[in-house]
Parts: sequence; structure tokens; C-alpha cells
Amino acid sequence: MAEDDNIGAEGQVQPMPRIALLGNPNCGKTALFNRLTGARQKVANYAGVTIERKEGGFTSPAGRHFRVLDLPGAYSLSATTPDEAITRDVVAGLRAGEAALDAIVCVVDATNLRLNLRLVLEIKRLGLPMVLALNMVDVASKRGIVIDTDRLAKELGISVVETVAVAGGGEKSLLHALDRMAPFRKVVAQPLSAIDAVPVEETQQEVRRILAAVSNDSGDTGNLSERIDRVVLHPLLGPVILALLMFLVFQAVFSWANAPMDMIMAGVEGLGSLVAAVMPDGMLRSLLIQGILGGVGAVLVFLPQILILFFFILVLEDCGYLPRAAFLLDRMMGGVGLSGRAFIPLLSSFACAIPGIMAARTIQNSRDRLVTIMIAPLMTCSARLPVYALIIAAFIPEQQVAGFFNLQGLVLFVLYFAGIFAAMAVAYVMKRSMGANSHQPLMLELPTYHWPHLRNLAIGLWERVKIFLSRVGTIILTLMVLLWFLSSFPGAPEGATQPPIYYSLAGMLGRALAVIFAPIGFGWEICIALVPGMAAREVAVGALGTVYALSQTGVELESSLQPIIAHSWSLATALSLLAWYVFAPQCLSTLSVVKRETNSWRYPLLMAAYMFALAYAASFVTYRSALYFAGG
Amino acid sequence: MILSSTPVAPALMTLDALAEGRSGTVAGVAPMVLADGVDLARRLMELGFIPGERIRMLKRGMPGGDPLAIKVGNSTFALRRFEAALISIQAV
Repeated sequence: MAEDDNIGAEGQVQPMPRIALLGNPNCGKTALFNRLTGARQKVANYAGVTIERKEGGFTSPAGRHFRVLDLPGAYSLSATTPDEAITRDVVAGLRAGEAALDAIVCVVDATNLRLNLRLVLEIKRLGLPMVLALNMVDVASKRGIVIDTDRLAKELGISVVETVAVAGGGEKSLLHALDRMAPFRKVVAQPLSAIDAVPVEETQQEVRRILAAVSNDSGDTGNLSERIDRVVLHPLLGPVILALLMFLVFQAVFSWANAPMDMIMAGVEGLGSLVAAVMPDGMLRSLLIQGILGGVGAVLVFLPQILILFFFILVLEDCGYLPRAAFLLDRMMGGVGLSGRAFIPLLSSFACAIPGIMAARTIQNSRDRLVTIMIAPLMTCSARLPVYALIIAAFIPEQQVAGFFNLQGLVLFVLYFAGIFAAMAVAYVMKRSMGANSHQPLMLELPTYHWPHLRNLAIGLWERVKIFLSRVGTIILTLMVLLWFLSSFPGAPEGATQPPIYYSLAGMLGRALAVIFAPIGFGWEICIALVPGMAAREVAVGALGTVYALSQTGVELESSLQPIIAHSWSLATALSLLAWYVFAPQCLSTLSVVKRETNSWRYPLLMAAYMFALAYAASFVTYRSALYFAGG
Repeated sequence: MILSSTPVAPALMTLDALAEGRSGTVAGVAPMVLADGVDLARRLMELGFIPGERIRMLKRGMPGGDPLAIKVGNSTFALRRFEAALISIQAV
């Protein structure tokens, strides 16, 4: 056998072996994937669908390079959900654009073989080379579960290795096992009918037989998770805990982010003064300072807040709380005709509506799924956060309410709640109009609680940083440069009384739009910012940065955006703009994902129409009542 | 058709009627195919609600309410009463 199978006899490079991780949801598969690949992951979608496809690479101790795919979690290859269908098709080599796999790594939770082994037996029927990774063996042994690995390997007829995905080096045994399997020969998978032909009961009988031979696990054991659930799922305490957690998250977003935000702000300003000092006054300097630094910097400053929000979402997800929240809210969501399952897509939408809309794929019923998709953008996504944060910081005094509530945090909480309330109302109306009233299954696993794992958290947050920065560097930067051009040309005429931007192309557009938006209190400056803000909400903040930087004559970037808007807008205008951003469909990417997910233009158009109508109505009411109370 | 049944089963009941904290053994799952073609009975079995498996009612919603938290084997699943009613059990 060759020393290195990647190099053939004539020194030709053989294609890298491709393997896939496959397992039940909650078996620690993704943690193992992170352990194998580190941060070197390529996250994309499967061709034609919006299911996340994670691929990475690693090198084994023998120096072999592997490519590894993290398949969506599945309970069975009979495939009830679209996620499971992807997993089934990739494993069976039926998915177009996915090369056949050289080996399958079946990941199982060692504390729950009773559930996990069924999938292993199903996959075995496909006859592909496979290795079993007995994951979480540390937790199992802590619980006194003893598993005879050699016997398990003999019973299953495949090699079995013990892994601890959450510990450094916990993947070593798997790497060695993969080396032992090399070189890989192409094997064609048996048809899928081999799986569906066997009744579940028969498979389970085999599982029971194997379990009896290899493990002392008796099945149902009361454990810590149950004791926690007694409190967390309590009909009265549970919702209180959920509300407190959510409140804590929103408070943290505001109070923890101050220091890093100040640092970013200072950095951008420092860079601005540096450019101003070394460059001669002119067009290019204006583009750099007002256009790029002013615009991009205004968006970049919100990175800490977005990271804090994602930090909490990832922690709650990792420790197993999110499905409990779905459990608690199922009843409430049932009241408006939604399933508790809709909670997870809707919660993801607080980060960004796009993954939220994609996550709606886990909802089996097509009507439920459609309603969930339609209301997802009403959840306050992180792109609204820059807009909210800017306006709140400028107009809401930083003071304590009732002793310990931060007033700014409270306003933010109200804005989030307004979105949720509107979403529930829209869901109710939609469900009514579709006239559906059939029973919907929930079938949601409540996984064992465990401590969130720092490494996974760090990798998850790093993903978000990359996505955010690449948005800032591409869409936002492009729009900012474009906006700068539109705002700078044509220049002001002789004897102009207004700042130059007033006479520019953007100024003309803003003034035209201002006619429509005057009744809700938006001036031409805001209207200019709303236009690029259509592409992505946070761009509006950058755009305001550019617009105001250019409309102040002779003012350097040092005077940041917040004090400028604080003295140029009325409180009524500020509140009206907040109300606008709760509802307005200011995100083309969301609308395009809805188009792709629903495969029709009808729903994105309907979404845009109803959200604009709500936004205008809400802003009108807010503006008029604010004027009334301010005036009276 | 009940997929599997114990010959003499005096205490047979459906899972949705099981009191909080009580245990039982799955006796069978009634066939049910939803309007969108999902084979609910097969799915419940794939999740572990298979005749012979031990189950326990961990948490019921508010009186008369959904959902239910049910332990089956070593896993816990949330079901609505409607799905739970498909599962017949022998209470212990």
C-alpha cells in the first residue's frame, strides 16, 4: 500500500476522499464537525434549496487530506422533512451536484443509543463504507452507562470509535479509524427502498437485542434535565423565566456594547482625521471621509450589539433551552393558529429574517409554514438594531425607571414587542382567511441540557462576524460610494442657500419622496437614506451618516451622527421613524428569499404591500399622536 | 388497525390521558396519514414511540392544554394531545 494515498504511483494527486457526518439531531454532530475542521468551513446552501450546507477539510495523522460534509440531522432516512430529504439524497448519491461519498461517519449520542442506533441500522442497509462515532462517551460514563465498544463493533459489523466532540483531542480516535479505512474504493449505495421496506418495529427489535448485549443502559432514568424541566416548563414559572431571559438579552445588548462601540467609533474617527491630515482637500478626500468612512463606519459600530444578540441566541440554542421556549409558547402560538415549532424560525428572525425563513422548512404543514414565512420579517432583525440604537441613543434619555430598568433598554423592548404583537395579529388574520383548522403535529425533541461549549460558541460568532463584515465590505460599501456620488453631483449652483446635497441627484429624489412622507414627519434627508435602506436596513444609518456629513458645511466627521440628528429631528419624527422600521419591508434579500422559498412572486409582493401599509399607518399614528401630546 | 397489541390488555389507554408523573409501555400506534401526505404513525415510531418502549408523562400543559412533554426511552419529546391520542399505552 502506498505511504500516502493522496499521491498515486506516478505522483499524481488522487481526488481527496469525501466523507459525511450523519446523525440524529442533538447528537453533537456539529460540535464534532467543528472539532475536525476548526474555523475552516465553507457555509453555503445546497443547490436550488435554502438548506445550509457546511463543508470543511482536515488532515489525518497519516497526512491524508479529507473533505467532510456536515449533513442536516435526521431521525430517519424515510425523510419527513426537507432537511431529512437532503440527507437521504446525498447519502444515497441521488442529489445532483453532490459527488458520491467515500465513507459515512455515523455520529451517535452514547447516552441515547436506543434512539440513535435505529438510524445507524437504516444506513447500514445502504452498504456504504461507514464508521460509528460513539460521541459524548464522557457524559455517558458520568451517568454510569457502560458500553462495550468492541462488542458493539462486532454486532454492527463496522468499526466503532469513542469521541468527545467538546474536548480537545476528542476526535483523534475517529481520525485513526479513517486512516485505517483508506484507501477508499467507490461503492454504489443500495437503493433507498432497502430502508423503507423494513418496518420501524423490526429495526427497534434489533436495537433492543444489540443494547442488551453491549450496554447496561436500562432506558428511562430520571436525570438532571428532568429536574430542570420541572421548573423551566412549569405552567407559571416557565413563562416568567422566558420573559426574564428575553428581557436580560435586550438589556445586555444596550449596556454591554458601549465600550467596544466607543472604541470602534474612536478608531473610525481617528482614521478620518488621519486621512484629513495627509490628503489635500478635494473630491477623493470627500469620498474617503464622508462617503466611505462616514457611511461604513456608521454601520460597523453596531457589530458589538449584533454579536451580543447572537451570543445569547447561540448560548440558548447550544444549552438546549430553545425547544423549551417553543414548548412554552406552543399554546400561545396555537391561539393564533401557529405551531410552537414556528418559534425557532421566528426567534432566528430576531437575528436575521433570512435564516428564519429558511428554518421554517422544519414546519411540515405548508399553510403553517407559509404564515410563519410571512410574519418572520416582523421579528426585529439585527439589521434594525443600528437604526433603533442610533435613534434611541439620540432621543431617549439614559435614565433608570423603577429603580433598575434602563429606559433605553425598555424602549428597545417595546419595539421588539410591537413587532411580535403585529406578527401574531397578522398570523391570526392570515390563518382565518385561509380557513384552515386542521390539527398540526408538534413532535419536537427536548434535548438533554448541557453547558454551552465555548469553542462552538466562538466558531458560531466568528461566522456572524464574517457575514457582517463581508456585507459591510460589499453591499454596504458599494451603496455608500454610489450614494456619495448621487449626493455630490451635480454641485450646488451659485448663491445656494442650502447645503450642496440639497441640489444633488439624491437631494432631488429625497425632496420628491418627502412629499409622500411629509405626513409621517420624514424630511428629505431621511427620505434619501430610505432609498439605499431598501437594500438592507442598516444601510439607512450609513446613508444618514453620508447625507448629514455632506449637508454640514465644513464639518469634519468627528461630529458623529447622533448629536446631529438629535438637534435636527423632532421627537415626533424620531418616534415615527422607529415605528416605520418596526414594520417596513426594507430588505430586498428577505423578499428574494421569500420568492425562492415559496416559488412564486405572489407572496413576496403581498409581504411588501402589507408591511409598507402597516409601516405607513403606524408611523402616521405615532407621528400625529406625538405631535398632539407634544403640542398639548 | 393497531400495529401491535398485547393479547390481554385491560389497562389500555391513550397516551394523552396519562397523568403527569405516571409511566407506561407503548402498546401500539394508530395509523394516521395527514392531509399533506406525512405518515404520522411511522414518524411517531421513528421518534421512538414503538410498541414495547417505556414512556413517562413528564409535564402536561395547563389543565386541558397542549403540549405534553413525554419521555420515551432516553429522549424527551413534546407532542400535542392530538398526536398523543394516536399512541395507545398500558399504564403501570
